[in-house]
Amino acid sequence: MRSASVEHPDRRRARPVDAGVAGVALVVVAAAALRPLLQHLLDRPAVAHWATVFVAIAVQAMPFLVLGVVISAAVAALVPAGFLPRILPRRPALAVPVAAAAGAALPGCECGSVPIAGRLVARGVLPAAALAFLLSAPAINPVVLVATAVAFPGRPEVVAARFLASLLTAIVVGLVWARAGRDELLERVYRRRSHEGPPLAVLAATAQHDLLHAGGFLIVGAATAATLQTVVPRDVLDAVAGAEPLAFVALAGLAVVMALCSEADAFVAASLTQFSLSARLAFMVVGPMVDVKLVALQAGTFGSGFALRFAPLTLVVALASSAVIGWWLL
Amino acid sequence: MTAAGGLISLLVGTVLLRLTLTGTYARYVRLGMGPPLAIAGAAVIVLGLVTLLHAFRHTNPVDAHDHRGGNRVGWLLLAPIAALLLVAPPTLGSYGVGRGAEVDIRSGGSVLDRLEPGAAPIPMTLLEFGQRAVDQDGVSFNGATVQLTGFVAGAEKGGFRLARYQIACCAADAAPVVLRVVGTGAGPARDRWVTVTGTFQPGGGEMPELAATNVVEIPAPLDPYE
Repeated sequence: MRSASVEHPDRRRARPVDAGVAGVALVVVAAAALRPLLQHLLDRPAVAHWATVFVAIAVQAMPFLVLGVVISAAVAALVPAGFLPRILPRRPALAVPVAAAAGAALPGCECGSVPIAGRLVARGVLPAAALAFLLSAPAINPVVLVATAVAFPGRPEVVAARFLASLLTAIVVGLVWARAGRDELLERVYRRRSHEGPPLAVLAATAQHDLLHAGGFLIVGAATAATLQTVVPRDVLDAVAGAEPLAFVALAGLAVVMALCSEADAFVAASLTQFSLSARLAFMVVGPMVDVKLVALQAGTFGSGFALRFAPLTLVVALASSAVIGWWLL
Repeated sequence: MTAAGGLISLLVGTVLLRLTLTGTYARYVRLGMGPPLAIAGAAVIVLGLVTLLHAFRHTNPVDAHDHRGGNRVGWLLLAPIAALLLVAPPTLGSYGVGRGAEVDIRSGGSVLDRLEPGAAPIPMTLLEFGQRAVDQDGVSFNGATVQLTGFVAGAEKGGFRLARYQIACCAADAAPVVLRVVGTGAGPARDRWVTVTGTFQPGGGEMPELAATNVVEIPAPLDPYE
């Protein structure tokens, strides 16, 4: 008996670990047993379409999500606490525009910017500034702007309008949040305890935790978007394309529902030729800031109370600034 | 959750790497995403291994916290993983053709160079065919024989509809280019892949038309999208 406990000194501690591992194994075995059923389901064209779109959104997002959680974990592990708030302007009127403009430096799409913004808040950056960064990064970075220019050849004003309307939205939402937002809604960020230990161990543990957490919410969002894309017939859209104010809102709604990668939405916007350029601008401004996949990610990172208030606020501001910039430039 | 989380990461990374190595990823995203996917897969595998090692070696792992709600949502990652390990969902098929926005073949804009008809048919994308067709009623074809590859998306009078999706990032943003193929009868069954040889036929109306001389059924190509 005694020798056994020496051989397995942490046997008692290891039990919950084994339960989790057994759980994962069980899921995989169960799925393997259900394989004929899965195969049968995929023979139906609608189910196959859903599954392909679902897997495509998840696969497309993974590299960006991994980049986001690694950067976020690196900030947690390597940047000393208190450093970021010290170098950033303290007044919201200055910090918010600076953070929004800094979004241009993160090449990627929206899945990466959510964990990074969460980390910035946890590290003491003014929440309004971190949120302005969250909104602007996926919309105004060079990769997205080049994609927009390619999708709308010979129309540089579309690129300019997208840049200005997105930046304007990020700054206005940030300033509104600085004045009227309730930072205690960012409960999940504040509640999470930071990991302790040597930097590399902290980096690995943080990245592992964030990846599973954000990844899980990404799956919820991807499944929602795939369902809506498969179920909602798009003839409905053609019917409203002519009526301008309605078309405007309809395309913003489509952006929320489709949950496209911000690097791809310009190509889809270009193909929606029955709509006016202003309505398509709204599609491209709303998409990277509010969509079903993003709201799920934000709820997971910051808390659902936050996401329920932040998403409608962003949607309204994005619509207003698309209308203004569209009227001015397009 | 720690060891289980490491195991989930290991599975996620393995599936990403496997998708890349087998080329299956081309069904879902652009071919150019291969290297980023492989790197992400490798990084996640390392992360999973480090976490597993840590969980089994230390009684008090670094990741000791378990906040309310925990990290249970991470288990959802197993859904696409299980699906991809067992049955990979197919390439987008004819189901989506006609349901969503189609590619705007007029968006190319510029006047296209004339083709030089030669002995061999000229391979081109469906998009290029469509763009040439709407550009001055297809004068740039110059009578050349062309070769197109796509899937059958339904029957048409005297032929069938040939389609292929354009994707910008992933299959979620796919939009099809659709042509009418005439001259060889009904063609293969829906969703079968074909290579069609023929010439542009003016007067097709909204949908560009190809008068085919030869239709060959082929296996689905490595990159099913344009």
